[in-house]
Amino acid sequence: MIAVLSVELRKLNRSLAALLAVAAPALIGIIAFFSLLRAQHPMPWEKWLQMSAGIWAFFMLPMSVTALTALVAQMEHGPRAWDHLRALPVARWKLYAAKAICVAALVAVMTLLNQLVTWGAISAASLLKPAVAPTGVIDVSKVLLLNGKIFAAGLLMIAIQLWMALRFSSFVPALAVGIGGTFFSVVATSAKQGVFFPWQMPVNMLARDAWRIETALALGGGLGALALVAAVLHLARREVL
Amino acid sequence: MPAAIETKALSRRFGARLAVDDLSMTVPQRAVYGFLGRNGAGKTTTLKMILGLLRPTAGRARVCGLDVARQRMAAARKIGALLEAHGFYGNLTGRENLALTATLLGLGAMEIERVLEVVEMRADAHRKVGGYSLGMRQRLGLARAMLGAPPVLVLDEPTNGLDPDGIADMRRFLKSLPDRTGATVLLSSHLLGEIEQTATHVGVVNDGRLVLEGELARLKADLAPELILRTSDDTRAVSLLLAHGRSPVAGQAGLTVALRPGEDADQAAGAITRLLVESGASVFAIGPRERSLEDIYRRVAGFRSSFAEAA
Repeated sequence: MIAVLSVELRKLNRSLAALLAVAAPALIGIIAFFSLLRAQHPMPWEKWLQMSAGIWAFFMLPMSVTALTALVAQMEHGPRAWDHLRALPVARWKLYAAKAICVAALVAVMTLLNQLVTWGAISAASLLKPAVAPTGVIDVSKVLLLNGKIFAAGLLMIAIQLWMALRFSSFVPALAVGIGGTFFSVVATSAKQGVFFPWQMPVNMLARDAWRIETALALGGGLGALALVAAVLHLARREVL
Repeated sequence: MPAAIETKALSRRFGARLAVDDLSMTVPQRAVYGFLGRNGAGKTTTLKMILGLLRPTAGRARVCGLDVARQRMAAARKIGALLEAHGFYGNLTGRENLALTATLLGLGAMEIERVLEVVEMRADAHRKVGGYSLGMRQRLGLARAMLGAPPVLVLDEPTNGLDPDGIADMRRFLKSLPDRTGATVLLSSHLLGEIEQTATHVGVVNDGRLVLEGELARLKADLAPELILRTSDDTRAVSLLLAHGRSPVAGQAGLTVALRPGEDADQAAGAITRLLVESGASVFAIGPRERSLEDIYRRVAGFRSSFAEAA
């Protein structure tokens, strides 16, 4: 399994997926940079990082997952690499499991990178406008916990998107589902039922109601893990025509 | 010793369409087996079942005695494949692409350099595959198929995209493989000329059925011998030969005349020459016609002009 995972990681070298993994968090960093320059009053670090996590969970994470899973899947669909991979003496479930682990790990890294880039952008902007420099100190464990929850709650969305992207050789079905999911998530932000909607589960980690957090986390993380296993088994068993 | 590849009553249905129908083929060890058929005849579907990529609707395939359906992993260790779609990652270099497969096969860097050397790709191995020509991808695909020196190579249209020199090199290389490495090659193609110049054995598939199989030299020898002649007056020659119970066929190279069963070619040539000269026609040339794979193909699978052009 280590060999298959190492192969998956090496495939990302100089790929568009790797570029996206850096570009998406960087966009939020740019927003944070200019937000601080426009600020009138200083805000605590916690607020800045929460704002960044909110944008990430609300919009950028669903869109990034849609694009990332499509790009990663197209790396195999595009040159029709499945035939070669599936003809090798390697258990097929390992090929798909490695891909799922790789994508999940990449999303986790992007989620953390988002906070790191935000910290860098805010720090840089503070040098230009020291009057509104953030106050207080960063509670690293709190930041890690929040972002860990956001990632875990996003697992079901990741599983659905990856399943779609790997199942269909065209990227259109996966993009349609991802864009549709993000759209409904954005327009129905305050809907109570949103907690059951995979694309809205991550942003529920910023809610004040404990039941919303717990429900979205349990459904997103629990069902997400199950869905990933189901996706791996289904994809490994089916024929690629 | 089991056959390198053996299929028994292999069938595959896609909905209502029967792509492969009761196909039983045997590829002997150390053979270069040309798997010939029109586009859509069922070649690729058969190869995919041999590689374990498609499940047969009925029948079974064995590689070096291993059942592909039941012992897929063990069978896959015996095969290296070059498929029509190469499946290379354009963002990686040639060497990096090979390294991915080598890692999955548990092979080291030395093996990558060995196969690159074999296909003469070392100089370009540092370049991204995205910038490779089709011919270079084909050679890299062959290198990848040879990683780990598998005893059986399955090659789907291996000369696609190669320039004339590359095609000649590939033919020489494939012909020499059984002697050099002991490998067996299953070579799929729709080009008669390619198979004829490379293969020791041939299988012809038509509408999903194997219509002919055997050693190429023996198949050629089994065809009824023919004479080919050039005369000063072909029209007159045709009339005369028809009147004497022969069936001449006019072609670009001259008149072709099939010999009667058991008839000696030299004696027939003498008799035909005498007949024509005595009637006032000049015979410029006469001799036995070398039989080609195209003759075999025409006999078993019907003839299409596209094949003649391709050959």
